[in-house]
Amino acid sequence: MQAGIIDFLQSLADGVLFGTTYAIIGIGFTLIFGVMHKLNLSFAAASIGGAYLSLALLAVWRAPSLVLLATSAAGGAALGVLVFLSCFRFIRADNALAPLMATVGMLLLIDEAIAHLTAGVPLRYPALFPDVMLDVGPMMVRSDLLFVFAIGCVATSLLMWLLYRTRVGIATRAVAQRPVAAALCGIGIGRVNATTFALAGALGGVAGALTGTAVGVLSPLLTLPITVKGLIVTVIGGLGSIPGAILAGLLVGGFENIIQHFRGVSERDLHVMLLLFAFLVFRPGGLFAPPAGRD
Amino acid sequence: MDYYIGLAQIIGIHTLLGLSAYAVLLTGQVSLAQAGFFAIGAYVGGMLTVLAGWHVLSGMIVAGLVAGVVATLVGFPALRVKGLMLVVATTAFGEAVRLFFFNFNYRIRRGDVLIGPSGGEGFRQIRFFQENGWSTIEMALFIWAIVILVLATLWWLDRSRAGTVWRAVGEDELAAQSAGVSITAVKVSAMGLGGVIAGLGGALYAHNTTHIEHAQFGVVLATFAIAYPILGGLTSVLGTLAAVVFIQGFLVEGLRFLGDWRNLLFGALIVLAMNLRPNGLLDASAVAALRRGLSFRRKGAAHARA
Repeated sequence: MQAGIIDFLQSLADGVLFGTTYAIIGIGFTLIFGVMHKLNLSFAAASIGGAYLSLALLAVWRAPSLVLLATSAAGGAALGVLVFLSCFRFIRADNALAPLMATVGMLLLIDEAIAHLTAGVPLRYPALFPDVMLDVGPMMVRSDLLFVFAIGCVATSLLMWLLYRTRVGIATRAVAQRPVAAALCGIGIGRVNATTFALAGALGGVAGALTGTAVGVLSPLLTLPITVKGLIVTVIGGLGSIPGAILAGLLVGGFENIIQHFRGVSERDLHVMLLLFAFLVFRPGGLFAPPAGRD
Repeated sequence: MDYYIGLAQIIGIHTLLGLSAYAVLLTGQVSLAQAGFFAIGAYVGGMLTVLAGWHVLSGMIVAGLVAGVVATLVGFPALRVKGLMLVVATTAFGEAVRLFFFNFNYRIRRGDVLIGPSGGEGFRQIRFFQENGWSTIEMALFIWAIVILVLATLWWLDRSRAGTVWRAVGEDELAAQSAGVSITAVKVSAMGLGGVIAGLGGALYAHNTTHIEHAQFGVVLATFAIAYPILGGLTSVLGTLAAVVFIQGFLVEGLRFLGDWRNLLFGALIVLAMNLRPNGLLDASAVAALRRGLSFRRKGAAHARA
């Protein structure tokens, strides 16, 4: 009995810490959806792409961890802007289906580009942090997961500061609330949208690097599961809500690890889907539903 | 020659998949659950012919009906959500179906072998066509007979009152509701019809490939399902058909000589197509131009006779 509880707490802790990456991906989806009211399905692929770009840097220079993270973020941001230009910029704003489909094309393109350049072989991602086990009472906490969690917190705080304390943030939120009114106030909608994609992409790049270091390898096969998990996190958290995405990410991470521990890996995702259905039926707006009356 | 017949079979089956998403898209819903309904049709159809020894036609009809009933049941809760939430909910449903079949084991002993779906290994030996001595050309004709039937039904539906109502809901839900249209009836019936079509396609797919497994019915297939009608345009059912021929015939098979580069070009061409023709390859203006071209030729012929 005692051992059961410890096992439970152990897998909960590991899962919640790994859930940080889900939370960040969820924030990326939510951010873009909040500003443009459109879905960017290539976001997770761009995030993994950013992590791959940092690997490319590693091939020429044994860079320290922080530089790798920064490169990954920059790569994610660049890919984000590329996605914006190729899938959103030149398609009329009232067309919802075309950009959705274009981002699917972009997802395939990024995946295939990675597979092509790496000859389809998964690459090892270096441990960004020293690998020590911390004893907390009877449990052990993987210190690299703890670092993942900490970096996630720092990145999210930075984003919150940008959104709520700077002029760029005010402009972004204005476009999110009333695009036409924002344009009439002299805010360049296209530029704000591009900035949002760059911001979300940078965050995604960090998430990609964290996923790489937590899993140990990078592979284009990671993108689809992460896309699905990120979307689930976005919906459970409540569309457009950043705190919701954070909480939902940690929740999904902890939940799936517990299920994996007790029911095995083949049933893990099935229960995550059931969790999502439970939310859709009983709380369709998510944890932090935006106030009613707005789409 | 067999190669082209095989290609025709694939195009036919994917057309059914695309048409199932077309029916749902007409009412303005983006559903990524079509691969799930397709999987249900494939497994039910395969089990009926292999385990119960049914004829493929009756097995296929029941598979379509089962998928349709499941889709109708999914349609009701799906009504509660719109836009992105619907995309996520239907993705999750499709994945749940896939994972269900991943864990689904139902094998019976026949002679000295076990047959039936077996979890991650999949479901082998769905050999109705081969056991009954159908040639590839007969299989292709059978598939295309179904495709043409479904195409004709959707074509007729589009020109009937029901099709107008569906499109009205797709264009503007609020306006349609104000005009007295029942949104629930429209959305659920579209979902159900989409489910039936996907189920038919799935059953055909299972018998065509003879081996199905959960991995074939993932998010990628669901994305293809909505890609066909979006890429082809929602103006006419022929758009979906054109998009399937474009993707399966040209992008997948026609560019095979490019080897590894084909996959790269694939995504890029989709992005390009959506930028150049955001309303689909066969959008309203293209359909109108086609119609004008046809009527002009007919008029010309009439003049020649006179």
